[in-house]
Amino acid sequence: MLRFLIRRTLGAVVILFLLSIVTFLLFFGMPRDPALMMCGKACTPANIENIHHVLGLDKSIPEQYWTFLHNIVLGSDAFTQGPCPAPCFGYSYNTNEAVWPTLMDRLPTTVSLTLGAACVFLLVGLGTGLLAAWKRGTLIDKTFTAGSMVISSMQIYFLGPLVLAVFVYQSHLFDKPAYNPFTADPVNWFSGLIIPWVVLSTIFAAQYTRMARSSMVEQLQEEHVRTARAKGMSRRYVFFRYAWRGSLIPIVTIFGIDLGSLLGGAVITEYTFGLPGLGQLAVQSVAFSDLPLLLGVMLFAATMILLFNIIVDTCYAFIDPRVRLA
Amino acid sequence: MTSPLKTEGGGASVVVDGDKESAKESQTAQVEGRSPGRLMWIRFKRDRTGVISAYVVGFFFLIGLLAPLISKLYGKDPYTVYADERPELFDSAGVPVQPNGGISGDFWFGLEPGNGYDVFTKLIYGIRTSLMISLAVTVAVVLTGILLGVTAGYLGGKADFFIGRVIDFLLAIPAQLFFIASMPVVVSLFVSPRDETPTYVRVVALIAVQWALGWMSLGRILRGTTLSLREREFIEAAKVSGASSRRIIGKEILPNVVTPLLVQSTYLLPNFVTAEAGLSFLGVGIVEPTPDWGQMFSKASTELVLQNDLTYMFFPGVSMIIFVVAFNLLGDSVRDAFDPKSAR
Repeated sequence: MLRFLIRRTLGAVVILFLLSIVTFLLFFGMPRDPALMMCGKACTPANIENIHHVLGLDKSIPEQYWTFLHNIVLGSDAFTQGPCPAPCFGYSYNTNEAVWPTLMDRLPTTVSLTLGAACVFLLVGLGTGLLAAWKRGTLIDKTFTAGSMVISSMQIYFLGPLVLAVFVYQSHLFDKPAYNPFTADPVNWFSGLIIPWVVLSTIFAAQYTRMARSSMVEQLQEEHVRTARAKGMSRRYVFFRYAWRGSLIPIVTIFGIDLGSLLGGAVITEYTFGLPGLGQLAVQSVAFSDLPLLLGVMLFAATMILLFNIIVDTCYAFIDPRVRLA
Repeated sequence: MTSPLKTEGGGASVVVDGDKESAKESQTAQVEGRSPGRLMWIRFKRDRTGVISAYVVGFFFLIGLLAPLISKLYGKDPYTVYADERPELFDSAGVPVQPNGGISGDFWFGLEPGNGYDVFTKLIYGIRTSLMISLAVTVAVVLTGILLGVTAGYLGGKADFFIGRVIDFLLAIPAQLFFIASMPVVVSLFVSPRDETPTYVRVVALIAVQWALGWMSLGRILRGTTLSLREREFIEAAKVSGASSRRIIGKEILPNVVTPLLVQSTYLLPNFVTAEAGLSFLGVGIVEPTPDWGQMFSKASTELVLQNDLTYMFFPGVSMIIFVVAFNLLGDSVRDAFDPKSAR
């Protein structure tokens, strides 16, 4: 177990390292010079050169990369904006704020959005999926199957604006989605996020319904399930003890992937509802050629994906006794 | 989304040296050789859902293909700004005066709030753009998947390890962030940032970035299939009889990976369509005035439309749902036709 975790963590670190290189190179391919945006209207070549020097962009790319790595591990006091403690991604070119605190500042929005929606879609999706599998072939099954097929084919960029138009702009039943910190105002936190939650979890729940159903139907055809039934165990017992456990594996896999990628920034959802989360931060960082911010968001999002991959693989061992971690 | 459920059952039926054998399976009185492809076709034709969805999907491709002809017959194009041409149709905010987004005999699907483009031609041209891009991505992804997946599976050893690590790495990249970040970079490879970006450059860039992060799932599946095929007797026999690796891959392995290949690509294509639309929605894909499916959604999410014209967003929205549903059903039917054992 420990060896497995160590091996996977090392692998993840290598991938993050490579990704930071790719992002670094990507930035230097970007057409917009950040210095040009920072120095505004009265811009002379000397000014630009000066800004390049302050940002460290006049050094060679490997040299800059080395500084970047050094700062992440050890922090830095070399920034004019102030000291920058250990996970130091530097200061944003655009807002002049330290990147790591900015990420941590935006994180609660993304986490609230993701976890709130995840609770709903997991419960609803698995519930309807299991019900459809239990009642296989009946009208309930057919309704759920057809319904989930259509709903899972909807996109957030269609359902989101549609719900906004109907419930916010035309009937004024709800306020415009907004993020209020839970600690400051739980009621507004809830009411501000209700629409994004509903939209996000509707689409995801439909996908989980389909998945849970097909995975369950497949499991019910397994030999050990048939044996259990032949031994005279009740349908209910076999369904919930035998088949259910086996059907969890693909669901856990997809759930891990979904959660990991959503926690790294639900870009389209945040963009649709104007929520200030990590995804929106990423869009901004690209728009302003903001290298420190871009690196920060990119690495954070990738870390989430990798972290949840490892968690999922560890979960297998608990769900399926046949799996041994090595 | 490709769930691991769907990826199973690759390479269930085996084709040996082209499409000659498997006559045993034919149940008709007169013994007649039927190739697996023929059997698959017969099974597919019996599947009513599959046939209907195939027609729907075909209809969308036909619309895309014939968009210029249709709009010529219809007498309008997606670039005319009707807010300038016929200002009497719009109120001061730019919203169509007539109810339901200005639907009339002249404008079948109404007019777009703001610029006042004709929604019908905009939609069919948008479908054309989106399908063209997604088709190109799918072709690129399939070729890459075959090349790298089959290579990894067949050669094994170092090549397999190396390709496997590349796949691991690419899978860890946050796809949407990467698309957003790399689009301007790829565009700038072709044109200098001061010039106006021609549409074809954006199209090429969209294809390139989606391709870069799109081939891994297919590559993995083909690797797995090839890996299991490599140990089969008929490959061994080919090896013993002195066939070159090239011949073995081309004549023995490739015909046998056609099944997972076809099934996977029918699942992949709608994903590329929605992903491309998502990028255009975020403003990094195709931009106005070039019509695009996804860009219509970004128009639909502006406050002007949200407040005044609910009708507008239904046309791109509902057409996309129909397209994706039909394609997914088609994918299921293709899978069932190839592999009758995998009951749903």
